[in-house]
Amino acid sequence: MHFHIQMKDLEKRYGPEKIIDNITTNIAKNTITAIVGPNGCGKTTLLNILSGLDNNYGGDYTIKSPDSNSMSYIFQNYRDSLLPWRTNYKNITLPLEIQGYSKKEIADKVEEMKNLGLEFDPNQYSYNLSGGQQQMLAFTRAVINNPKLLFIDEPFSALDYENNLKLRDHLQKYYLKYKPTIVMITHNLEEAVHLANNIIVLSKKPTRIAKIIENQAPYPRNLDYLKSDEFNKVKSQVFSAFQDTVIKT
Amino acid sequence: MKKIYFLIGPIVFIVIWELVYLSQIINNFFLPSPQEVFLSLITLFSSLSIFLDLGITAQRVFISLTLAIIIGFPIGLLLGYYEKVYASLEVLIDFFRSIPPIALFPLFVLILGIGDSSKIGAAIFAATLLIIFNTAKGIINTKKTRILAAKLMGATKKQIFGKILLWESLPQTIIGLRTAASFSLVVIVATEMFIGTYAGLGRRIIDFQYIYNVSGMYAVILITGLFGFALNFVFIWLEKRYVHWYGK
Repeated sequence: MHFHIQMKDLEKRYGPEKIIDNITTNIAKNTITAIVGPNGCGKTTLLNILSGLDNNYGGDYTIKSPDSNSMSYIFQNYRDSLLPWRTNYKNITLPLEIQGYSKKEIADKVEEMKNLGLEFDPNQYSYNLSGGQQQMLAFTRAVINNPKLLFIDEPFSALDYENNLKLRDHLQKYYLKYKPTIVMITHNLEEAVHLANNIIVLSKKPTRIAKIIENQAPYPRNLDYLKSDEFNKVKSQVFSAFQDTVIKT
Repeated sequence: MKKIYFLIGPIVFIVIWELVYLSQIINNFFLPSPQEVFLSLITLFSSLSIFLDLGITAQRVFISLTLAIIIGFPIGLLLGYYEKVYASLEVLIDFFRSIPPIALFPLFVLILGIGDSSKIGAAIFAATLLIIFNTAKGIINTKKTRILAAKLMGATKKQIFGKILLWESLPQTIIGLRTAASFSLVVIVATEMFIGTYAGLGRRIIDFQYIYNVSGMYAVILITGLFGFALNFVFIWLEKRYVHWYGK
């Protein structure tokens, strides 16, 4: 198995308090990994370390091909990450602009996104969009340069259920077409089981890995999958791990 | 219907003015009727000389504001970008911002003479500090997520500055410009009342006061107010046109 990310004894402290303690695991290439855990356990901190946003940590991790062209991040506060002075078109093409793509290449990439169903009024501004559309815009911007590694922090938390399901569908379509490695944080067990190959359950602080649960269901996982026994079986395993480490302790 | 709401305030104001005039709560010598002031306005505009005063005051405000932007905007951007430099200068900026510019006018007269330079110098001083402060604050208050997002996209410092910080600073900068424009007008009109000018709205107000032409004085005050209002309106228009995302 090829690993995209290898973590060894990762540790993070805020002053005397240990937030993350001894996280050692590997994330396989071309998989979706969901990280679940209680509030404030350091899920975002872990993602910030892995994405290079936080360099003040202990232990070590390696990422294969860690250049900016191959990595992208969708922030939890997606609204703040969009640029309201730019049109939707200029928002989603920002990464390509920064990386020096030509106008023709940019137009081609936008067309590629349209074919995936990720379409917006190009001349509108993000502040005219609904929360769901803004999240979709942030998602499109994050994937327009076809990152090999995609970090997503609570992507669906601010969305209503309908938009939540829509975005899950887009994420799967994108994943099936480009096969990136996706690491997503979520506090919603249903989302985690619906989308991920591997679900890492984190404990309370100081955060450790409580359990890693594998989900071998094939993609695309449609809405019927959410009603299946297979889904419920995995969800029940995740819930048990969550219960053992978070609720009972 | 909504369009005529803006007229209600001024109409009520004129009615109250007329009522106060009629009731003679204030001596009519000090508060002439709206009609008298309106007639003075017509006389002033028909004599055309008021246009020279208005033009001279506008020119002084325009020169001081333009120079204040040329000096203040780049300095504000740099101070906002280098937060530690801003932090080390913040006390000084706040201190100088707290000095009423009129208090420094005698100093400017001493250094620059009694001509236009000292008036414009005092206005530049007031406006520049406001522009520096607001532009720097605009950059400092940039949403950190946007900078992080750009960094993760591989943006260079120059790209972060040009594509994020400069734009983020605009709403606050426009607020600074609006305030600076009002301050420039205040300082210019006030300094015109002192010495060394042959024309200007301030000069005209003080001249009318000297000869007890009270309705004429009110008329020029009204013109000054309307000029300030128009100046403010220009910046509101600029804000709506170029900082359309502000507050949304």
